[in-house]
Amino acid sequence: MKALQATFLRELRAYFVSPLAYLVMCFFLVYNGAIFAAVVSVLNDPRSGGTERPMDQLFQGFFFWIILCFITTVLTMRLISEELRSGSIEVLMTAPITEVQVVVGKYLAALTFYCALWVPTVAYAGIVARYSHVDWGPIAGGYFGIFCLGALFLSVGVLFSALTKSQLLAAIMTFVVLVAVLFLIGLLDNLFNGEVAKQALGYVNLFGHMEEFHKGIVDSRHLVYYGSAIFFFLFLASRALEDRKWR
Amino acid sequence: MIEAHDLSRRYGDFTAVDGVSFAAADREILGMLGPNGAGKTTTIRMITGFLPPTAGRVTIAGRDLFESPTEVRRHLGYLPENVALYPEMRVEEYLLYRARLEGLTGGEVRTAVGEAVERCMLEEVRHQIIGTISKGFRQRVGLATAILHRPGVLVLDEPTVGLDPKQIISIRELIRELGRERTLLLSTHILPEVELLCDRVIIIDRGRIAAEGTPESLRQSWVGNPGLRVTLKDNPAPAPAVLEGLAGVLAVRSGAGGPGSFVLECHRAADPREEVFRAAVERGWVLLELAQERPSLEEVFVRLTTHEQPLEGGGASSAASGAASGAGDAGGAGGAHAGEAGAAGDGAAEPHPAAGGSSEVPS
Repeated sequence: MKALQATFLRELRAYFVSPLAYLVMCFFLVYNGAIFAAVVSVLNDPRSGGTERPMDQLFQGFFFWIILCFITTVLTMRLISEELRSGSIEVLMTAPITEVQVVVGKYLAALTFYCALWVPTVAYAGIVARYSHVDWGPIAGGYFGIFCLGALFLSVGVLFSALTKSQLLAAIMTFVVLVAVLFLIGLLDNLFNGEVAKQALGYVNLFGHMEEFHKGIVDSRHLVYYGSAIFFFLFLASRALEDRKWR
Repeated sequence: MIEAHDLSRRYGDFTAVDGVSFAAADREILGMLGPNGAGKTTTIRMITGFLPPTAGRVTIAGRDLFESPTEVRRHLGYLPENVALYPEMRVEEYLLYRARLEGLTGGEVRTAVGEAVERCMLEEVRHQIIGTISKGFRQRVGLATAILHRPGVLVLDEPTVGLDPKQIISIRELIRELGRERTLLLSTHILPEVELLCDRVIIIDRGRIAAEGTPESLRQSWVGNPGLRVTLKDNPAPAPAVLEGLAGVLAVRSGAGGPGSFVLECHRAADPREEVFRAAVERGWVLLELAQERPSLEEVFVRLTTHEQPLEGGGASSAASGAASGAGDAGGAGGAHAGEAGAAGDGAAEPHPAAGGSSEVPS
């Protein structure tokens, strides 16, 4: 447990000493600020007619999904591949720490930084609350959805980072896989009409989940889905790290 | 205490290490010598648990490495060949992190870091960013990391590489000191280092142990008959015949010092220096030089690990490979040596190119 904690703190610190992290933070805030401003101005336009669920606008667009894939990729690409490339993995894995502890420690650091990225955006809700009535349920749901999606995407990123020595390759693979899977599921969902297929695809359709989340609905089936998927990817990542020994 | 039993490691079809067994006792510095690619680093990685062996077993401080890996690693300090640190961290910050990783808590952490900083002479770079310090300092940060948690077993892979002569001396002193308190396995290319530091040596070649023993015993059992360097003024004509006739002298060769310089190959138990002196005095020759040629560990190393035979020694090829593989038993060693001595006679004086690169001598 001590070893996991030490790894977690080191990784978290590593984010804050690298210029990349600040660049990402700035970019992220400007980007989200722009989306927020756009959504507010659209909703303020008397011709738009308003919407029942304003969170849809904020958390459902193409721009939201792309930035989500991008941020999680950037946050994870370095995590393990850098250790493999520099060779620091050797002193790390000869310390009293297991592969699982390394993977989980690094993953939690990425997740913490990811959450920290989103914290300032709560201000948007605060701004809106000053001028009009805010329904906090869907907002909490939306943030919870963002947390779940991010946690899932980060676990995918950690896996690819453990598979290669090259940060760039890890980044490309993570990004491509996330975007491909995301849109493929959405596409298939629209393509099939069968009862069973619809149900199965609905279960894995991340767009669908997010839609429910920002209606303020938190379905326990989704929690099981995210939990097991994250577990699965992190498990694979720790196996990939172990596998290095046998090659 | 390190025990390796029959360690083997294969990478696909290639066998990097093949049935290596050895033990290092408490308070012993065991040296590991071998040319590049002999399997030293692979062996070391198996002992530190970084690589699992294809076959065989490692026990450290009485515990099996495979059965309780994390427990065993607590007793193990390791300085890898290529010291990779996190360049963005500060030296002290890194050591604090490592101390916590090793499971130290609270006050122990600060004490351990303070002690390691002092022992490895890192005070002046303590607050610097690792990426900005010199290779020598980075090497010492690696060493500090290895001794932080006061492990009972220390494994150092080429610890003095990249250090300047002054640092080398201080690190050697530190290594000797560390070896007094624990088991220390030292892999190195630098032969004088082995002679200076190690209680015992194993020579690894092509994944097998080619020889094992104290530096002294290796020298004695592996190098040919002791030599005597004699230089006489004006090169008296009868000198070779007279010298050859002395008791204990087996053969006379001309030495490297030009005319008048000879190398006497002597019987193992004999010391004909006195006879040489008397013979010179009796005949009125001026003796400019009389010195015993001490066979160096370097020679042993070159003989054991040189495989490319000179063209004229066609028959010696099998004898040499026999020496490498059959070195474990003393009887076989003697026989192989006798067969090889002639062929390697000239080759040993100047290190063979294949192994020459491994015997770098600093300062």
